[in-house]
Amino acid sequence: MKRIRIPSCATPSLAPRAARRPLCPYATALQRSIAPHNHRIQARFQTTTAVENFGGEQIEIEALAEQTPNAPAAPRQSQIHGSIRPEELPSPHPSEAVRSVKLSALRARLSLPPRFPLQTLARTLVHPSADPDPNFNNASMSMLGANLLGYYTTEYLLCNYPRLPISVIFAAQNAYVGPRALAIIAREWGIEAAAEPGGEVDPGLLQFKRLKPGEGVPAILARQVPWKWNTTNTHRIVATDEFGSDNAPPSPHSLATTPVPMEEAAQSFVRALVGSLHLHLGAPLVKRFFKAHFLSRHLDISTMFNFRTPTRDLSRLCAREGFESPVARLISETGRLSRHPVFVVGVYSGKDKLGEGAGSSLDEARVRAAAAALKAWYLYRPVDVTLPSSMEGELDTSKWKPNMVDCGEVIV
Amino acid sequence: MPLSAIKTVATAQNGVGAFILPCKRITLSYCDWAGSSRGMNAYLKNQLGAFAKRNPQIEIQVYKKAKHHPVMTADYLNGHRKSINVKNMTPEGVKEKIELLRNASPEEDKRVPNKPVTSINESVRGIWSPFHGAKIKI
Repeated sequence: MKRIRIPSCATPSLAPRAARRPLCPYATALQRSIAPHNHRIQARFQTTTAVENFGGEQIEIEALAEQTPNAPAAPRQSQIHGSIRPEELPSPHPSEAVRSVKLSALRARLSLPPRFPLQTLARTLVHPSADPDPNFNNASMSMLGANLLGYYTTEYLLCNYPRLPISVIFAAQNAYVGPRALAIIAREWGIEAAAEPGGEVDPGLLQFKRLKPGEGVPAILARQVPWKWNTTNTHRIVATDEFGSDNAPPSPHSLATTPVPMEEAAQSFVRALVGSLHLHLGAPLVKRFFKAHFLSRHLDISTMFNFRTPTRDLSRLCAREGFESPVARLISETGRLSRHPVFVVGVYSGKDKLGEGAGSSLDEARVRAAAAALKAWYLYRPVDVTLPSSMEGELDTSKWKPNMVDCGEVIV
Repeated sequence: MPLSAIKTVATAQNGVGAFILPCKRITLSYCDWAGSSRGMNAYLKNQLGAFAKRNPQIEIQVYKKAKHHPVMTADYLNGHRKSINVKNMTPEGVKEKIELLRNASPEEDKRVPNKPVTSINESVRGIWSPFHGAKIKI
């Protein structure tokens, strides 16, 4: 349903240079001490694009590393030419990734093909709070992944349930790819967190700076009071995240060096993994991955409605759609004078039964019947659905069938 | 607002889309001096490689623990852990036990309750209701 996040285009710390190959300021130092056993993997370092291995790369790295004025934090710059001990790095060196058992086990567990490099998988596990350098943390990939997850979930919901009210769409979106859902998914994938991030830690562990015991959530993560109180649905759709929050979430880049809760780091990993899969393996595989790991989860949307005045909503709906106004009729009953009476009430518009409900009083049954009728309307599913993303890159447009667009929920 | 939504989280159904084996790590310990580790040592030498190749999703750790009986420990995705002491076992017995840990459910052993099975999916046929259908007169 919406939008590329604006900070992803505007963050100053993003993509400062467009070199032919991404630079690793440690490369020169470490290449002297660590013997690489695979040249092709080495040439990739932390990049998200596959790069050819050129001859004479050693010299080029040295030359470029010296020219990099805005390279990361102080220890990195001062140590470029000395030999670096891994404990001095903020996050594990990319060359360690191929040796990590945890990483290759994780790749196999998620059934990712071997052409997805372990170095990238290791980078998705580094939260900006552990390593503020945007070339080595997962901030940019998690932005991409968040947008992809939002896109695929929203198109699934909007095409399959065209009449869902906007608040239910937001809640369903939150249930599939919300922060809590992503943190749970990361745990179900067997992600473990490092006690403290650092260069000597196994790269298969989630790296983030932990909150100290007793410390509250940092101010940047605490959702503040909106600057105006009458936050509208339009504001929620246009200006904040895809879950209808009152204010926008912080940009991943702004979380550098801030201690964060584990949930925040875990969700950034899942998003970054989706983003990096898109970059390495392409959209079709990401769509399959999304279907297998996210859409396959169980969510009963019919239990997510919370009506306040279903009878009034239903009569407004009938008036809007030009149906006869709804009438509640008693279908059957038992034990009216007993301790446990049951009434079955149907709501009729003319001769059509819109919904039916059972309750222990006439009023309860009538309200339940109206709610059932409203759910039957809102949860309508078209038979033929063509998702917009399924037509990406297709030359033959004859398979495209336009999707139903509804005029929206009832306004009372 | 006439209508609000109830926030929930979609629940996992392992195996419906992707299947993830609950066993994520197996730790094997051996002693190269004592006799109780003889079967374990033979297993480590000859058969563990094939097991690891067949199960790339399991992280395998082997370490020497001198003067102790050999133990294998499995860690599962939900944080549970199961251990088996494999002292004096033959390599075949060790193999059987490692397969047992690999295939085990992470939940603790418990009695199967004597209750009907419930499903989260809606019934195709609907639930029988005494208030609908043909009226029966006695």
